[in-house]
Amino acid sequence: MTDVKLIDSRGAACPGPITDLARAYRNSKVGDMLELWATDKGVKADTEAWAKKTGNEIVEIKEEPDKIIVKIKILKR
Amino acid sequence: MEKVLIIGGGAGGIILANSLDPKDYNVTVVDKDEYHYYQPWYLYVAFKGSKRKIGKPIASLLKPGIRYVKDEITEINLNERKAYGSLRITYDYDYIIIATGTSPDPDPIPGLREVFNEYGDYHTSVQNSLKLWNHIKNFKGGTIAIGQASPTCKCPPSLLEGAFQLEEYLNKKGLKSKTKIKFFTPFPRAYPAEPMNKVVEPMVEERGIEVMPFFDLDTVDNEKKILTSIEGDTINYDLPIIVPPCKGTKIKILPEGLQNEDRFIISDKYTMKIKGFDNAFAVGDANNLPTSKTGVTAHLEAKVVANIIQGKYDKFTGRINCPFDTAYGKATFVIADYDNPVAPYPPTRMKHFMKMSMARIYWMTLRGYADPIFDFYFDFTNPVKLNEKYATS
Ligand SMILES: Cc1cc2nc3c(=O)[nH]c(=O)nc-3n(C[C@H](O)[C@H](O)[C@H](O)COP(=O)(O)OP(=O)(O)OC[C@H]3O[C@@H](n4cnc5c(N)ncnc54)[C@H](O)[C@@H]3O)c2cc1C
Repeated sequence: MTDVKLIDSRGAACPGPITDLARAYRNSKVGDMLELWATDKGVKADTEAWAKKTGNEIVEIKEEPDKIIVKIKILKR
Repeated sequence: MEKVLIIGGGAGGIILANSLDPKDYNVTVVDKDEYHYYQPWYLYVAFKGSKRKIGKPIASLLKPGIRYVKDEITEINLNERKAYGSLRITYDYDYIIIATGTSPDPDPIPGLREVFNEYGDYHTSVQNSLKLWNHIKNFKGGTIAIGQASPTCKCPPSLLEGAFQLEEYLNKKGLKSKTKIKFFTPFPRAYPAEPMNKVVEPMVEERGIEVMPFFDLDTVDNEKKILTSIEGDTINYDLPIIVPPCKGTKIKILPEGLQNEDRFIISDKYTMKIKGFDNAFAVGDANNLPTSKTGVTAHLEAKVVANIIQGKYDKFTGRINCPFDTAYGKATFVIADYDNPVAPYPPTRMKHFMKMSMARIYWMTLRGYADPIFDFYFDFTNPVKLNEKYATS
């Protein structure tokens, strides 16, 4: 079974969703799925840069009226 | 009379206590320490060797009629409305406010304890700041690695403020050409919020501070003098300046499940009510609100909770207002709230003067004497107005 861990960062502006993502990454293992919810528009560019740097995969970025959802698969830890 | 029990005589706890009238409420503040410290000044102790007195007895900061007890609370039972500490007292209450701040915890990162004990830092106490100052003042050149060991930290600007203060010091001492400053951060850029990063990034570059983004500290090898990140990068250092991970309270809170994995207390982002309780609140750095851990947020949260206890409707907006000393006599403020992003507010000499004045006004703020000034200031610098003025230009 893969764990899907929901990270709800809606409303977080500073330091923002990347704080919650970094914290979740620390506690994750290879194979985990992370789902990050955010309202901060910067989340797309930041998670993409983060995934590139850490060698993890962004499975999907979905924009909903009230939030942006980023699905991440942990490939490296 | 209703009993209000406040755990922690920091910024949040004291402001909350002083916002309640002791004629209407029986207010007790319990703190393990006798002294309250003005934490932002740790920066100037560590990087300038400042000898300013920044501690005052908690009892002297409370309005007459408010009780102070020196005790370390170890257990709180929210269902039974009781708290226990190392004195043999059972504290009972009608309202409880947990305002215990953060506790530094270097142990989850292998090797960090040793470095922390040896070098101190600029975030956790006067003693640790003095320890660091002793290393800085004897520094002759080499590589300095400076940064935060985990993404959760109080006062987000203070990390880069440290690098700026350090650079100014080395420059004035004529040591710049013999030194490399490496600023490491778990975030994608020097300052996490992009609009403020745009303001400070040119200064970082101009001053030759090398930024290592996405550097989330994994291990410290103090023998070989190497830092390694979770992302797999390394930094070789001669002097390590590392702010240890910030964790929440070690108090046992019952029922279980009310703290997140870093022990921050799960509370409502508008009312600070602890999940599932109407008479229990977590205020300031101790809670898990999606906002910065700063004295200003602790202050504003405390005011809201005081109103709620007195039966008035109120709601916290998530407002942050962190002064950001960019060195060489200038500063700016990081201002935002839940609904409005950080405004790119430019550094000026006037803002630096305001940051320095705060060290004096602070003690008045705790007693509530500076409230009219703050009400005016918070409105004047409302993030909507600031974004209108600066974000587009
Ligand atoms: C270098 C630096 C610069 C900063 N700059 C700024 C700034 O410019 N502006 C700003 O707004 N903020 C700034 N901050 C942040 C600010 O100092 C804190 O956010 C603020 O003090 C939080 O207040 P608090 O009441 O939540 O916690 P604290 O002020 O930390 O108080 C917590 C209190 O609880 C007590 N306590 C803890 N556990 C127990 C227990 N078990 N039993 C009894 N008592 C207990 C502690 O002894 C302490 O007195 C800075 C911080 C640092 C370190």
